[in-house]
Amino acid sequence: MPSLPPIPLAGIRRPRHALLSLATALAACGSGESALAPAPGTNTVQLSAAAALGEKIFRDPGLSASGRQSCASCHDPDNAHAPANALAGQPGGALLDQQGGRQAPSIRYLDTNRAFRFDDEGTPTGGFFWDGRAASLQQQAGEPFLNPREMANPGKAEVVAKLARASYEAEFRALYGNEVFADVDGAFQRMTLALQQYQLEDAGFHAYTSKYDEFLRGRAKLSEQELRGLALFNDPSKGNCAACHPSGRGSDGSLPLFTDFSYDALGVPRNPELQQNADPAFYDLGLCARPAGDLAARTDLCGAFKVPSLRNVARRHTFFHNGRFRALKEALTFYVQRDTDPRKWYPLDASGQPVKFDDLPPAYRANVNTSEAPYDRKPGDAPALSDSEVDDVVAFLDTLSDDYQP
Amino acid sequence: MRRTPLSIAVSTALLGAALSMPAHAQTPTELELARKLDRLAAELAEVKAQLATLRAQGGNAGTAAAASEAGTATRAAPAPATADAAPAAGRPTRAELPTRAELAEPATVLTSYGEINYTRPTKAPQDAQVDLRRFVLGFQHRMDSKTRLVAELEVEHAVSSADDPGEVALEQAFVERELGARLAARAGLFLIPAGMLNENHEPTAYYGVHRNFVETAIIPSTWREVGVQLIGNLDNGLTIQGGLSTGFDVGKWDATSTEGAESPLGAIHQEGAQARARNLAVFGAINWRGVPGLLVGGSAFSGAASHSQPLLPSARVSLWDLHARWSPGRWDLSSVYARGSISNTAALNATLVGNPTLIPERFDGWYLQGAYRLWSQGDYVLSPFVRLERFNTARDYADLGAGLTPQAAGTERVTTVGVNFLVGQGVVLKADVQRFGLVSANNRVNLGLGWSF
Amino acid sequence: MRLTLFPAALVALAPASAFAVHYLSAEQAQKLMFPDAERFELRDVAADAGSTHAGDAPMQVRIARRGDATLGYVVVDEVVGKFERITYAVGLNRDGSVRQVEVMDYRESHGHEIRLPAWRRQFEGKTVASAIRVGEDIANISGATLSCQHVTDGVRRIVARIDALRRSGSLG
Repeated sequence: MPSLPPIPLAGIRRPRHALLSLATALAACGSGESALAPAPGTNTVQLSAAAALGEKIFRDPGLSASGRQSCASCHDPDNAHAPANALAGQPGGALLDQQGGRQAPSIRYLDTNRAFRFDDEGTPTGGFFWDGRAASLQQQAGEPFLNPREMANPGKAEVVAKLARASYEAEFRALYGNEVFADVDGAFQRMTLALQQYQLEDAGFHAYTSKYDEFLRGRAKLSEQELRGLALFNDPSKGNCAACHPSGRGSDGSLPLFTDFSYDALGVPRNPELQQNADPAFYDLGLCARPAGDLAARTDLCGAFKVPSLRNVARRHTFFHNGRFRALKEALTFYVQRDTDPRKWYPLDASGQPVKFDDLPPAYRANVNTSEAPYDRKPGDAPALSDSEVDDVVAFLDTLSDDYQP
Repeated sequence: MRRTPLSIAVSTALLGAALSMPAHAQTPTELELARKLDRLAAELAEVKAQLATLRAQGGNAGTAAAASEAGTATRAAPAPATADAAPAAGRPTRAELPTRAELAEPATVLTSYGEINYTRPTKAPQDAQVDLRRFVLGFQHRMDSKTRLVAELEVEHAVSSADDPGEVALEQAFVERELGARLAARAGLFLIPAGMLNENHEPTAYYGVHRNFVETAIIPSTWREVGVQLIGNLDNGLTIQGGLSTGFDVGKWDATSTEGAESPLGAIHQEGAQARARNLAVFGAINWRGVPGLLVGGSAFSGAASHSQPLLPSARVSLWDLHARWSPGRWDLSSVYARGSISNTAALNATLVGNPTLIPERFDGWYLQGAYRLWSQGDYVLSPFVRLERFNTARDYADLGAGLTPQAAGTERVTTVGVNFLVGQGVVLKADVQRFGLVSANNRVNLGLGWSF
Repeated sequence: MRLTLFPAALVALAPASAFAVHYLSAEQAQKLMFPDAERFELRDVAADAGSTHAGDAPMQVRIARRGDATLGYVVVDEVVGKFERITYAVGLNRDGSVRQVEVMDYRESHGHEIRLPAWRRQFEGKTVASAIRVGEDIANISGATLSCQHVTDGVRRIVARIDALRRSGSLG
């Protein structure tokens, strides 16, 4: 341990053996049985009855049309609550043959996120999903059950019927009333509430156990390369990453979340691995194309997606909303070379020119952020970060993974 | 009277002891103190009795004087006992003083100062600006002959709303109590005695449209804290101030903004606004005005500034200054050197590397100023002046390792040449030209109107 | 005398004492300036008598006598410093030159230094022919500019007025 005085942290450490017990429990998946609760004493904070129930729901594949998909399938607790594979979109539907249209994000570190709004400066902020369409963890938790490309239940009634057959149905009734399953909407709402409670209470969703957290607490030192990476990450004239992914201690002493919950259009290249992109007329427009249609008039927001937290980013297998990149280094290199070497990233048109921002219709390509570093460059310019500097930033991002062991 | 320094020392020590003494302490010193208290209480009773007698005599004298005014114009003044008993030393003793009823009445005085400035960057005239820089309304309310409340409310930049740049702030709000002819205590939000400008910051009190840089960038004028303070005025011309107050909060440092590069302490001051007070600061100042026209002084401030906040390594902010002002005849010459430091910045900065504005380990600056009362007629006084300043808001950074340690800032050199034109004692018109040696883009011409009453 | 020895903390805890804190009464000031005087005659002077300023107020002159001889004059006056009144006394010799200036009352937070003998001694010997102006023959006190100016202006007015009264013979 370094010599700096320890700074007290209140119950936000999650014991590693709790994770192990969850991993063990996962092996039992597929039987329609949910995970067992962690052995007594393994969790520093005992989950409430609602949260414990939420955990069982979270892990129950029996609630999907296929019978083979639970929340944990795409938000794997052993993989930072994100997919464990490198697929562009996760399979779903009754036969698990439907491909998701967007990359399943990690659902960690969302407990402080709030509903979507325009902030004082008019910047879109907050909300859940890539387009911020859900107002709360609870609302977010309900959607995949009914999404035909995901858990694919035809309606809430089917979900509630499955709940009524689950091994934990007695607990559900004990908590919400014996007749709870008679009221479909009420039971569905309580299910999502339990899921939210689980995500709020279980420290695994906001563990703050990364090496960087320990560094901020004065208990760990970053290596020289990691420190260089942090400096490049922060430096507004280099990576300028911290502009959207703040890395510093909050003014209230909180640990950084590495997102400002804002939205940005990055012009990520089109991903041919997404089946929906087989249609050349199809474009995923993000914020302006939310299903509710509330932002349809804001065409200046077309192409913008939520800025995700970079915590555990090094444990991801695909990057960006469309899963276009499979390696962190490739994603970072795209940031710094998008404008200096567009040929490397985009297809060429008939005249041999690269079609920048080809995943957006031409009319909306002007929405892409080209004013700030590292984008503020033109072909032939030196990238904001050299190849070895990208390696440094990758080394730093590696320190953002939970469960650091000195 | 020569014992005044002693009484200040005693009271300072006592006050300090009272503040720091744990409740359970029961030491021989305390017993001694208790005995002393008893003795002093007895003496106080005795003095009170004397005072009552004196008051009766004073009342008689007053009646006599009134009678004399009503009657004949010429008569021998009543010879009060005090005059007869005047000691050989030639100074009367305090206990013999009569009361003056009219001074004991409450009195409220409204005060104000303000300034309106025109600033024109010579290399960017399109940025020329007029600003109602500050408008201050204040009052002094005397509750009794020894107790007063002093408060100043400031509006900066004319309009304060969600969409405007203005600010409304309390600059001072403190109670002052006279403890003796030479000793006073203050408690509340008061200006820290540092440099020469901070406590005397009205536009009529300084030369130039804008306040000097040393006493804004290094000493964060107008710098106020909440605390308690003792002020002793000694007969040898020394004014001694000292006390305990709130301090800075390094947790407020925003490494992504340039505010800290403009004024390191201005970026982390608390101004009594829900100020973190886990740690308190000590401060003191000594000023000597024993020779007419001369002021020599210095100040020091030091306080821990992390307040045990999570994720914040401990740090201490210290600031000291030396200053002198000499006004022989028509000349007015002055100089200030101020130097601040923040401890443990290597640990503080380790998590901020790469950000635009890291926390400096040291910052300092000085100025030399000369003014000459060139012309005066009636209420008008014209004083040209020259001021040379050198200051550096980031003289040094703690070592963070190769490639990570920020470069020390350059030392800015500012020459200000201008004129103050006083209209009466409360209004001043100002004009000056400022040249910046390091960042010449800041060169500017300024015009200003200020008032103070 | 013992009062000044009282620890400040005790004084603060004691019930508010009734005496006003000031330095000298008029009687003490005149005695200090003319220790040889046997008596002081009060002479009321109308507002316009010997006035050099439109705003001059009625004034009371204390004439120091020893036997039949006039030793000098004492005038007690009040000016406003920055916020509060300053009560001071000017002692003048028979020839109208300043003998002594004493501050009797000073109530401002700052600028107590005008009480300092070194500052007050600057006035000694000044006559109606002197400038008696801050920044000319009277040095300022940094941080107490207004107090200095107002006391200095007051002394100048008194010197001029006493000089006029003396010449007109109205001070006997």
